[in-house]
Amino acid sequence: MKAKRASREGRFAYEGLDRVIHERARLSVLTCLVTNLKGLTFNELKQLCSLTDGNLSRHLSVLEKDEMVEILKGHERNRPQTVCRITASGRKRYLEYLTTLEQVVRDAAKGAKEEAAAGAVRKLGLAEVRA
Amino acid sequence: MTDLDKALGDISSIRRQVARSTQFRGYGPATLAATGLFAIVAAGAQAFWAADPARHVGGYLGIWVSTAILSAGLTGVQMFTRSRRMHSSMSGEMINMAVEQFLPSAGTGLLLTIVLLRAAPDSMWMLPGMWQVIFSLGIFSSSRFLPRPIVAAGAWYLLTGLICIGMGGSRALNPWAMGIPFGAGQLLVASIIFFASKEASDES
Repeated sequence: MKAKRASREGRFAYEGLDRVIHERARLSVLTCLVTNLKGLTFNELKQLCSLTDGNLSRHLSVLEKDEMVEILKGHERNRPQTVCRITASGRKRYLEYLTTLEQVVRDAAKGAKEEAAAGAVRKLGLAEVRA
Repeated sequence: MTDLDKALGDISSIRRQVARSTQFRGYGPATLAATGLFAIVAAGAQAFWAADPARHVGGYLGIWVSTAILSAGLTGVQMFTRSRRMHSSMSGEMINMAVEQFLPSAGTGLLLTIVLLRAAPDSMWMLPGMWQVIFSLGIFSSSRFLPRPIVAAGAWYLLTGLICIGMGGSRALNPWAMGIPFGAGQLLVASIIFFASKEASDES
């Protein structure tokens, strides 16, 4: 009984839901970067994530401070260009986050199915009583 | 489909996209080198037990098919364990992709063997060359997820396969017409993977 309780303890703690990643804009920035390993320019990221210049800069600096992305400033056809790329540790943390997120959704789906089954049983019971 | 099912679908689609942009590191250099050594041993075994393969087709096929099964089994087991270590939460997607890329070649090789054996036994001499050409196609299709120099190994198998077919007749069934291409080819693949994984770990 004790062992069962111990195994259930922290079952829904979801420690892997990284606070830095768990923000809509940063999640979309990281999702874009993790699927484009060569990196994306600032403008491409801005368009893909539907963010303003200021918003994107703010979120990128949070991610850069946490060493999840690297920002490379250079020139393309004599015009300044900023390229953002996910780091190896950023990629690792993102994948861990995704695993935990998947677990959250699975748990919720399982709960919803159990609730639906219980509802169906209750309805059936009421119908029998009425009959 | 509920919202939760849709969310799960979205997560697995992100995983697949990440897997597509990731280099597969499930093939172990030592195991690949071992499969090359198997090919050399099999060539030795053929020279000893099936020196005249045109008359002993069963013996010839027995030696090479069992070598292929042993090599595929060993590579598969190692791929499974190594991927879990190297790709952790992504291992499932990575293994699926690796299998999807190579399975058509393996299947074609198997079906071609059966068809030639049943319908055109006189053309059996083409098998070693065809196996090598098909193997090269498997390597080319996997090359997008492997270190770039792996294309050289694909070119090696293509070249040796074509030479083997070009030799024609019983010469193509010589033990070393399989032993050298697969022995040297697998050692080449192993060394490419070995040096590429060293570079990757230096970079990370």
